Amino acid sequence: MVEYIFYALSVICIACALLVVFSKNPIHSVLYLILAFFAIAGHYVLLNAQFLAVVHIIVYAGAIMVLFLFVIMLLNLNAETEPHKNMLTKIMATVSGGLLLVTLVGSFRAAGQVEMVNLDNSNIGTIENLGKVLFNDFLLPFEISSVLFLSAMIGAVILGKKQLS
Amino acid sequence: MKEVIQGIPLNYYLFLSTVLFSIGVLGVLFRRNAIIILMSVELMLNSINLLLVAFSAFHGDAKAQVFVFFIMIVAAAEVAVGLALMVLIYRNIKTLDIDFLNKLKW
Amino acid sequence: MQSVNYIPIVLQLLVAGGFVTLAMTLTHVWGPKRKSAEKLENFECGIESQGNARMPFSIKYFLTAILFVLFDVEVIFLYPWAVNFKELGLFGFVEMLVFIAFLLLGFLYIIKKGALKWE
Repeated sequence: MVEYIFYALSVICIACALLVVFSKNPIHSVLYLILAFFAIAGHYVLLNAQFLAVVHIIVYAGAIMVLFLFVIMLLNLNAETEPHKNMLTKIMATVSGGLLLVTLVGSFRAAGQVEMVNLDNSNIGTIENLGKVLFNDFLLPFEISSVLFLSAMIGAVILGKKQLS
Repeated sequence: MKEVIQGIPLNYYLFLSTVLFSIGVLGVLFRRNAIIILMSVELMLNSINLLLVAFSAFHGDAKAQVFVFFIMIVAAAEVAVGLALMVLIYRNIKTLDIDFLNKLKW
Repeated sequence: MQSVNYIPIVLQLLVAGGFVTLAMTLTHVWGPKRKSAEKLENFECGIESQGNARMPFSIKYFLTAILFVLFDVEVIFLYPWAVNFKELGLFGFVEMLVFIAFLLLGFLYIIKKGALKWE
């Protein structure tokens, strides 16, 4: 049962990722990427990371992809404005991407089957447990991420405000 | 619980995220639209997130899931600044084709 | 919590999506169709429509959207903190105050720069 869900989600995920790269219209790319993110959220639920699945939907599908869609509509990018690459670059890109895939898969296969650990506590993905780990073991990264937010805000305001005036 | 997780070996997740990562790399190399390239980078970040969550589930350790939070934070900050840059680029050269961004080339 | 427990939610999603698809399909199959140039207009209100729906819109919305994304992502740290509020005690409270102080600094900068001003 769970295996079939895994296979279905994986097929959706990979197909949508391929469509992101190969669809001509940027808006279609964004919509396929949102579908791929929903499939990844399904994988998170399968892996008992429930809170992460919800956060993933909120952050990626709810905020980041909306911003992408927004910029594409702001700049009025349609299929006609899409630049086309010459054939040689496309072939080289496909060859090098395929070589990377073959190399990684080959090395992972050579690493052998990983022994599975029995999952005795299935509640590691709950919000209480994540909060405990976050606020005890990852204090400094948490505070530093607020500095990252501050710099991103200032950068966005500086870059965005200039074009208003 | 055991049979639920044990239906799927860890290797399958490894291969799935490898495929997703390679598709992201392919997107970066294949397309010239800067926004699609940024989206491919998002796809690569997400494949790593998936792998981190898979390892966390298989080792019963929640630290990897907290790491995923931080990756999401970095992705959001990157997208905010990156898209502001895209709009500025579009204002200046009226296109998002990265082949026209060659002023600093020599 | 186990992932098997989510099957009711998946079923509910399937039923909700299935109902929408079924209703839409049935109205298309059974409903009357009169196709004329006026009927196929996007907005049937007497005024000629101009261009297509993909109109470029104002840059004013853009900065608001970016800042929304940043504050939206910040909130995901508040959920685990709020759930563990009693256990973390005063130390956790001070931690979160420092975090919020940095964001408030950014917010003050945004207000000072007038980035959210609607002009």
